[in-house]
Amino acid sequence: MNPNDNIYRQELMDIYKNPVHKGALSDPSAISHKKNPMCGDEMDLYLKIEDGVIKDASYTESACVVSVIASEILLEKVIGKKVEAINKMTKDEFLTDLGLNLSTSRVKCAMLVFEAVKEALEKYAGK
Amino acid sequence: MKLNAEELKKDFPILKRKIYDHEIVYLDNAASSQKPQVVIDAIADYYSNHNANVHRGLHTLSEEATELYENARKTVADFIGAVPQEVIFTKGATESLNRVAINWALHNLGKDDIILTTDFEHHSNLIPWQEKARIVGAKLEFVEADEKGEVSAKQFKDKFEEFGTRIKLAAVTHASNVLGTILPVKEICKIAKEYGAKVSVDGAQAIPHLNVNVQSLGCDFYSFSGHKMLGPMGIGVLWIKRDLLEGLEPYEFGGGMIDEVSFDAATWAAAPEKFEAGTPNVEGALGLATAIEYLEKIGMDNIREHEIELNMVLLNELQKIKEVRILGPLDPTKRTGLVSFALDGLHAHDIAAVLSGLGIAVRSGHHCAMPYHVKKGFSATTRASYYLYNTQEDIEALIAGIKEAIKTFS
Ligand SMILES: Cc1ncc(COP(=O)(O)O)c(C=O)c1O
Repeated sequence: MNPNDNIYRQELMDIYKNPVHKGALSDPSAISHKKNPMCGDEMDLYLKIEDGVIKDASYTESACVVSVIASEILLEKVIGKKVEAINKMTKDEFLTDLGLNLSTSRVKCAMLVFEAVKEALEKYAGK
Repeated sequence: MKLNAEELKKDFPILKRKIYDHEIVYLDNAASSQKPQVVIDAIADYYSNHNANVHRGLHTLSEEATELYENARKTVADFIGAVPQEVIFTKGATESLNRVAINWALHNLGKDDIILTTDFEHHSNLIPWQEKARIVGAKLEFVEADEKGEVSAKQFKDKFEEFGTRIKLAAVTHASNVLGTILPVKEICKIAKEYGAKVSVDGAQAIPHLNVNVQSLGCDFYSFSGHKMLGPMGIGVLWIKRDLLEGLEPYEFGGGMIDEVSFDAATWAAAPEKFEAGTPNVEGALGLATAIEYLEKIGMDNIREHEIELNMVLLNELQKIKEVRILGPLDPTKRTGLVSFALDGLHAHDIAAVLSGLGIAVRSGHHCAMPYHVKKGFSATTRASYYLYNTQEDIEALIAGIKEAIKTFS
């Protein structure tokens, strides 16, 4: 199957065109910056954490559709969850959840936000 | 004579492939070209009929393999206006450039010496110099592309006037893999010579498309890969000017590169063997020589003319799309057969993905020229690059695909 039929389908394009988690947080508890050197995607990720719970999360990016959609879906899931629960989330769980059936080169695009969240949490823990 | 791209396509078996029911439109030639049947056959013929180690045996197969290998060297030498002794086989442009850095720069540069280069080099023609400069305490100085994506000989002259004989090496690309720009290498060599500096040229993007004669260019080192010019992967060339061969130390040591060996020391064979330790890539050299013969039959001037025509069509059409920003010169004669561009509000990755779904292969990313992209504020660009088998229809398919991508995302 042509993978594009999957990625560029209408409901995903709606997410891409109307992102709700895009933008910086004014008073974040942790920030991370991630880059994919192969394709040039870049992202800043912001987390607001209170009492061990992720209260808010957002991102700014210069990135492709897959990366943006993955960010929207992941952050939607992360907000309101315990830090502990997100720490436990594995790469495979994340990709299965996403359900995008991505080709190898595009898995990297989706992984950008996942790695950014993990890094921000590590930074937070290290504080 | 005008070449017939539609006919030439038939020489390349891979171009008969379908991608999701679409005819393949291969526009990623600057990354690697496809191979004609004659090249594939030459490699198969070598292993089917002549394979043995070279320079090692008296038996028939070894002699045949040696002769084929040395004939391949001669074919390469003739193609670039050199003598066979000056042609060293490597695994590609990257290795060739690293050899210049290790064999020449490391031994001939000192503290505060300068390597002059440009701000849009491929990482393979930047990092080897950075690394060696760091070791010996030398510096890099950059000639910057102007707003048209061009550089002039005058800019190089200005640098030489500013830094004088501190500049020991100019390391420049012959044609840019990002901008497509062809550099005035001959003039650069002339200026460098006045100051006693050496010139190393990265020919990876030039030699597939232009008539290259290393003598008339006047450079000291010329590097290129076989796989971008219809040859196989894993073979490339480092051309070293004859006067320098004697003074350069070998790069690797082992079999095939010695004159005499005792338990304590060894002396070296003459070039090119001195620089080719170990069993060489014979099949690669043969494949490259066969590719060169194929290119010569078509004629480099005809290929050039064809690519300028495609440049004209693509540049014209791209300029009509308001979201498009083109990198490099708008004059189709000032670039090789490639155009990189950015689309406002659309990531290069997504364009490439939509095009891929239509069977069109382009490259997206920073094309191994990250500093230039960062400097110009592009996170990534899309690059279409063509060759002798690409038709006007291929370019039209690309334009239609770009328009479809814009529609999908807006
Ligand atoms: C200008 C330039 N220099 C050097 C290289 C490196 O060539 P290779 O990867 O074949 O060693 C390339 C290939 O991408 C190139 O475009």
